[in-house]
Amino acid sequence: MADIALSLTKVDKIYQRRGKPPVHAVKSLDMAVERGEIIALLGSSGCGKTSTLRMIAGFEAVSNGDIVLADRRIDQLPPARRGVAMAFEGYSLYPPLTVRDNIAFALKSARLSAKDVEKRVAEISRLVEIEEILDRYPSSISGGQQQRASLARALVRRADLYLLDEPMGQLEPQLRAVLRGRLKSLLVERRMTSIFVTHDQTEANALADRIAVMEAGVLQQFASQKELRDRPANLFVATFVGEPPMNVFEAAVENGERLRFKVTAGPTFDFASSEIPLPVRQAIGGRERAVVGVRPHAIRLGGGLNEARIVSNQWLGDQSHLAMDVAGKLLVAVSHKPIAAKAGEKIRYDAAAADLHVFDAATEAAVSHGLETA
Amino acid sequence: MAALELRSVSKAFKASKVLDSVSLAAEEGEIVCVFGPSGSGKTVLLRLIAGVEQADEGSIMLEGRDVTDTAPEARGVGMAFQNFALFPHMSAFDNVASALTARRASPEAIRGKVEKIARLLKIGHVLEHAPRELSNGQKQRTALARALVADPKILLLDDPLRNVDAKLRYEMRLELPALLRTSGSTVLYVTQDYKEAMALGDRIAVLLDGGVAQVAKPADIYREPATLGVARLFGDPAINLVPVQPLASPSGPKIGIGGASLSLPASYAHAIGKRCMLGLRPESLAVEAQPSQESFDVDLVAATPLNEKTLLLLRTADGRELLASEPNADEAPRRHGPAFARFDANAVLLFDAANGRRIAPQSA
Repeated sequence: MADIALSLTKVDKIYQRRGKPPVHAVKSLDMAVERGEIIALLGSSGCGKTSTLRMIAGFEAVSNGDIVLADRRIDQLPPARRGVAMAFEGYSLYPPLTVRDNIAFALKSARLSAKDVEKRVAEISRLVEIEEILDRYPSSISGGQQQRASLARALVRRADLYLLDEPMGQLEPQLRAVLRGRLKSLLVERRMTSIFVTHDQTEANALADRIAVMEAGVLQQFASQKELRDRPANLFVATFVGEPPMNVFEAAVENGERLRFKVTAGPTFDFASSEIPLPVRQAIGGRERAVVGVRPHAIRLGGGLNEARIVSNQWLGDQSHLAMDVAGKLLVAVSHKPIAAKAGEKIRYDAAAADLHVFDAATEAAVSHGLETA
Repeated sequence: MAALELRSVSKAFKASKVLDSVSLAAEEGEIVCVFGPSGSGKTVLLRLIAGVEQADEGSIMLEGRDVTDTAPEARGVGMAFQNFALFPHMSAFDNVASALTARRASPEAIRGKVEKIARLLKIGHVLEHAPRELSNGQKQRTALARALVADPKILLLDDPLRNVDAKLRYEMRLELPALLRTSGSTVLYVTQDYKEAMALGDRIAVLLDGGVAQVAKPADIYREPATLGVARLFGDPAINLVPVQPLASPSGPKIGIGGASLSLPASYAHAIGKRCMLGLRPESLAVEAQPSQESFDVDLVAATPLNEKTLLLLRTADGRELLASEPNADEAPRRHGPAFARFDANAVLLFDAANGRRIAPQSA
């Protein structure tokens, strides 16, 4: 049996507003996090991810439901008694203390010797590259440095759970990739159960074991990066996760001798039914319409049934992005190698049955992913 | 004759020199991206060309004509800034037409021009709408139509996608080159995003510390950056830099990384003895489970997925951190622990540590 560190059961957050209808920011959220797991709450602004984090931290009361951490119910406890270490907005550094003292202060209750405190502060400061500003005061350092300092303050102590708000949000792009690697290495090595909020899927993918995708207060899918990419639960997740996003088109479906998806004024994806496992054909069933999706990396160029005009072909040094004009929308293909084709020319393209995602046109729930049912 | 030329242009504000003897030329119809970190003088450069700032030294030529002392409105330069603000009380049509009304064109001629550009930008069906009724993408296109409709000979765009959400910014990046070409304008496009610069520019002018560090085609800048500073600005994640000093050996120049002695191509023989920086792009660094002739020991510290790639954070025997990237494979995930790294010797970049300039390989 899995070793559950944190569980949220039917958690609601409802903000009452005077003279206005209440806002249901988080709706009946169920979530279980295993010990040592790194979890990302991913979504656009207003999706409920920050409210969720603040409820776990204790900065917001839950409207309904309960939160259990390390076998203790914590949703009624004040923040300081929850056994949680935090780095986020509204929990800033103490202005009268230097960065060093801010970090060391977090170790006060641990009753360590002065030497051990010094060692731990030095170690974490090296990791987030703030060694040179340890003797400065918070007001005299940049936003990015403050962010790293509060990250260090959270990570330096031992806690049952680490809550981090956009941990790498303001960092210089040149630093980000290395710091993400170091942070992940630290969290994995010490088995630090962590939840972080981000609107940046690059950050979520890089750090998290599992990603909770939220939208309109509802948990859309809670799965690994690979699972979100290969088996998105619905059209929202399919088009939200992935850079660039999945190409999707509404198509007429023919499910007989052949399995065929025909997009008006756009591509046809056509397969012999013998290529498609029976359960997938059954799942698609007698639908007349469906939404079909293909990830940009899975578009096959230079052959196949379909032809389109190239809008642009852009080489970014390590990858090519090719956009085609299809049914009045852009169809995007990405390759790790340069593509020999020019804007204005026509190009043939296709997709393999194994790379086609099918969604219900009305509910937008996934029906099949390639050769597997959803 | 260049459509636009800057000749040794300098500009200082109080004591600080923002642009120091900048020379740059753009051909007719060319899109030149002016790229650099914030504070590198990009916006000032545009303002000098538009005429809203005066250069301290040097001259600005438009189609061979010296306009250094010409008033802004007489230069024939169109300019659009970040955010492309629209007039909220006017319809999309009137917003676009506002760029033409000062020219005393007939209403029919104005209508014809606005409708033509609107068709190209796919906003023909929303011309009667007010800005608040437009989607963000439509607003962006409306503002672009306004910048393009007057057929400015020179179009200056100051980071127009900066405040747009990521999805729309990506779509605009794909569509902008074709849209900008419809006007035939020569375009100077300022951006802080190297991917945008590579995607949009026929050429990129890299502005660093008030000077032009390199002007070249995007692929050439990425492959052969002129300086260490330029190399650092292109690539995500950024290029790995390792201090090395090539030594002579019977089999050609050798360098040391983490205690291993590794071969450089013979074309770098002229770098022997020099203090250098070795530049390794993450994609030209391979990580393997077994050692090979030219591999060196590393500790694989973390594997972090990045889109369709995986980034590997490596630590060499002497504690140096390197990033490698590899396309995703359907193999088992990478295990942390000892591994072996190898670089593609033909993709290596070498810089002179003393002045930061790239040391180009020399054929024997």
